Amino acid sequence: MNNLIQNEMMKLLAKKRLVIIGVIVGILVLMFTYAQYKQAEEQQEKLGTTDWRAALQQQIIDTQNRLSSNRMLDEWREQLEVGLKQQQYYLDHDINPSEPGAATFTRMFLENAIDLFIPLLIMIVASDLVSSENSQGTIKLLLTRPVKRWKILMSKYVTLLLSVSIIVAMTALLSYLLSGLVFGYQGWAAPVITGFGLNGADVDVSQVRLVEQWKFLLMDLGLVWLVAVVIGTLSFMLSVLVRSTPAGMGIMLAALISGAILNNMVSSWESAKYFFMVNLKLTTYISGSAPPIEGMTLLSSVITLLVWWLLALIVSFAAFTRKDVY
Amino acid sequence: MSKSKVLVTTIISAVVGLFFLFCLGWTIFDHYGKKTSDMRSTEATPIKKDLANDFTVVALGDSLTRGTGDESGKGYVGLVLEDLENEYNHKPIIHNLGINGQVSEELVQQVKQKEVRRQIKAADVILLTIGGNDLFQKGQTLIDYDSQVISESQKKYMENLNDIFKNINQVNDKATIFLLGLYNPFIELDDDLDTNRIVRDWNNDTAEVVAHYKNAIFVPTFDLFQLSVNDYLYTDNFHPNKKGYRLIADRVAPLIKWEDEKR
Repeated sequence: MNNLIQNEMMKLLAKKRLVIIGVIVGILVLMFTYAQYKQAEEQQEKLGTTDWRAALQQQIIDTQNRLSSNRMLDEWREQLEVGLKQQQYYLDHDINPSEPGAATFTRMFLENAIDLFIPLLIMIVASDLVSSENSQGTIKLLLTRPVKRWKILMSKYVTLLLSVSIIVAMTALLSYLLSGLVFGYQGWAAPVITGFGLNGADVDVSQVRLVEQWKFLLMDLGLVWLVAVVIGTLSFMLSVLVRSTPAGMGIMLAALISGAILNNMVSSWESAKYFFMVNLKLTTYISGSAPPIEGMTLLSSVITLLVWWLLALIVSFAAFTRKDVY
Repeated sequence: MSKSKVLVTTIISAVVGLFFLFCLGWTIFDHYGKKTSDMRSTEATPIKKDLANDFTVVALGDSLTRGTGDESGKGYVGLVLEDLENEYNHKPIIHNLGINGQVSEELVQQVKQKEVRRQIKAADVILLTIGGNDLFQKGQTLIDYDSQVISESQKKYMENLNDIFKNINQVNDKATIFLLGLYNPFIELDDDLDTNRIVRDWNNDTAEVVAHYKNAIFVPTFDLFQLSVNDYLYTDNFHPNKKGYRLIADRVAPLIKWEDEKR
């Protein structure tokens, strides 16, 4: 088993996929860093002050003005109201919700990347783990060895888990290192508020507490990792089921993008909460924004994702061990 | 690809993966383990005035302050600021806190907010438009005209206005407050000039209130829109358009004195 995993790892590293992913992350982080830097600069120009409280107050006023327009979807209104109350809470307690620094940037980056960007990166590795052996014909060589089929698949799956971990760690590390060039490497101890209780547009602040940013960042990483593992497993299943890699990627991509779109419009379609792609934004539960469908909680989303994960795993192994190879 | 390199990568990623798994478990326990910690409520630090001639304008009020109706989004506040910048070759700090549809009661609440008070404290000039929504109620006043209702809301408004001035003066009694009077957007729709009388009454009472505060100035706008109201109104026939805001700004800007404040 160990040798099999080593063998798979060697294949993975020889493909240089991880290097490509690193380059993609690096370029994107640099872009976002520049964009955020520009935005901060412009805001400062507009307000004539560097004081974050003034900027936050202005954001609150802007949101209030958007809310005052009566032609607005109810669910957007609700989300805006929740955001507004949280911003006001930050302001009232004199806590900067976006303390400048690389730690904050990394947190924001992870929170925004969790539902689409990270899954896409994972797909690069996961979607051809098995199907590439098919298309290159090497699957026969692999299966003629005196090893049980499930062990071969298992070694591939373990490799997937390992590379998922590397990708998540690499994303976090690169965004910290690169954004730090501009924003500085501080911000680990900055306070972040967690524990907002949501009930429709009402925000319950009785459970609210402060967490140091490094703790919050680790929580985010744990959640991002879970999403990455689930997406990786689903792509893995497709690469077992579908012979061609592009087809498998296409299916996964369609699911992910539909999830991103659905997130904005499913609030009235209650049963959509059992789709995995609607449950990907796990970090919103700890930062306290409104979930896409009322009643969704961290636990319900995690369980939904785990059910999908388990099913994907069972299907993968069942299909692979019974498949005819010719 | 050397064997040891592969082995090292494998071990590192395995350790990282286990660590993430641990983080995940911790997150879920932390999220559901209800620990309440007391939120420390820190005192807001006052805005530092880093430049001696940093001139701060705080604009409070309703859609007129916001600039609704001006395609360029500046509104009279933006125009006043441009005028000041041109005249003094230096950009003032602006906090525009205007909210569409705000009525006097909401403004009373707003000036009590901690951060708003902090900004008022740093202000040299406070621009204020309020009352339009109290009186017109999106045109309802005109449709079902009831003098009883109007005089009641007028009374309430004067109380609120007093409240607003008192709250502002509590934190800052040095800043000059410019309160803009109301104009009558319905002047051309109204043949017997009932609305004119109502707005005039309203303005007179407002000016009376303003007169009680020595750092406050009432700036009339009624006359600006009196003769050709349709030229100066936006397509909603209620808010000023770009030209209308220009008129207001031309009246307010010259009143503002930007001396080197030594406070």
